[in-house]
Amino acid sequence: MEIPKSAVHDRARTHADEETLAALVSQYAGTLYRVAFSVLRNPSDAEDAVQEAFMRVLRHRDTLSEVRDQRVWLIRIVWNIVLDRKRRAKTRPETDDVAELARVLPCEGLSAEERAAAAQHHAHVLACVETLPAKERQVLMLSAFEELTSVEIASVLGISESSVRSRLFRARNLMAGLLNHVRQ
Amino acid sequence: MNYRDKSDFSSHSGGGDAEATLRLIAKLAASDGLEDRVHAKLITAPRRGRVLAWPGAFIPAGGWLRAVAAAAIVCVVAGGGWGVYSRVQPGQSAQGIAGTHITSQGTGQGAGQGQFSTGDAVRRPQTLNGPAAPPPVTTATPKHKTPTKAAATTTQGAKAKTVKKANTAPVAAVAQ
Repeated sequence: MEIPKSAVHDRARTHADEETLAALVSQYAGTLYRVAFSVLRNPSDAEDAVQEAFMRVLRHRDTLSEVRDQRVWLIRIVWNIVLDRKRRAKTRPETDDVAELARVLPCEGLSAEERAAAAQHHAHVLACVETLPAKERQVLMLSAFEELTSVEIASVLGISESSVRSRLFRARNLMAGLLNHVRQ
Repeated sequence: MNYRDKSDFSSHSGGGDAEATLRLIAKLAASDGLEDRVHAKLITAPRRGRVLAWPGAFIPAGGWLRAVAAAAIVCVVAGGGWGVYSRVQPGQSAQGIAGTHITSQGTGQGAGQGQFSTGDAVRRPQTLNGPAAPPPVTTATPKHKTPTKAAATTTQGAKAKTVKKANTAPVAAVAQ
């Protein structure tokens, strides 16, 4: 029985798609995990979000070749996923997350006393971040990723670059006000 | 332009504190074996995420089978619509309404084809007392006067004049 050409082409294309997808996973899984963790602040939730993001990519792998910047595209996908999850899990108290995060954050070369103080400080800063308006908070969180430029942040959030800059400026002002208020 | 090129934002100490903490979070390493777990999940995932997945043997080159299937669906829908349209005659609704008049009482089978049945409705005549007609007035009729002789003569004279005019009119038309 002769195998039709289309079947061969389909198999080759499927194989190529799978290879592309595997390369994406190897290259960007860590980045996506960190983006997810910065919002969800839970390792297992962040990993679930990464897996869900790649499942979505698998579903739309036919259009993978049309994507211009795959990194930003993937970050946008996982960003939407984690925001959706965060919205749904709003009933969970934020204080637990902050305390857990302060414990997890690295503080090498510090004594036990300094480590405890640093953890308390991080927890306080993160609690202040949570009080920011959503738009400013999102820009501030994404700006912490050094590999993301303002253009890329704008692309992830679907806004203009000037909006990113103005929101970031407002977020930093608000944070300065909040932290100075507490210090006084 | 990257916002990191601008150093004016870092002047805010509070913003700097917040960003330092957020950068620490952003630099947290992913858990070990994350990529392998994602790979495993993708391998075990269903291959096709479509609602209607075509079996591999039925996927022809060019997708002509899909076109044929779409055309068949269009034909079925159009044929069904035409069948309904052709059965419903224009103006039939008025006949149907007229058919609701009781053609046979009590049986419900008196409606003809294409008409509504009576639904076993029984038509009952008006049993309420309508407005009662007043009884005829029995009064004495007045006596007619006998025509006088003078009136009789004037009417006879007028009749004679009209007959005479009718006889002379065609003659005058021919002369002209």
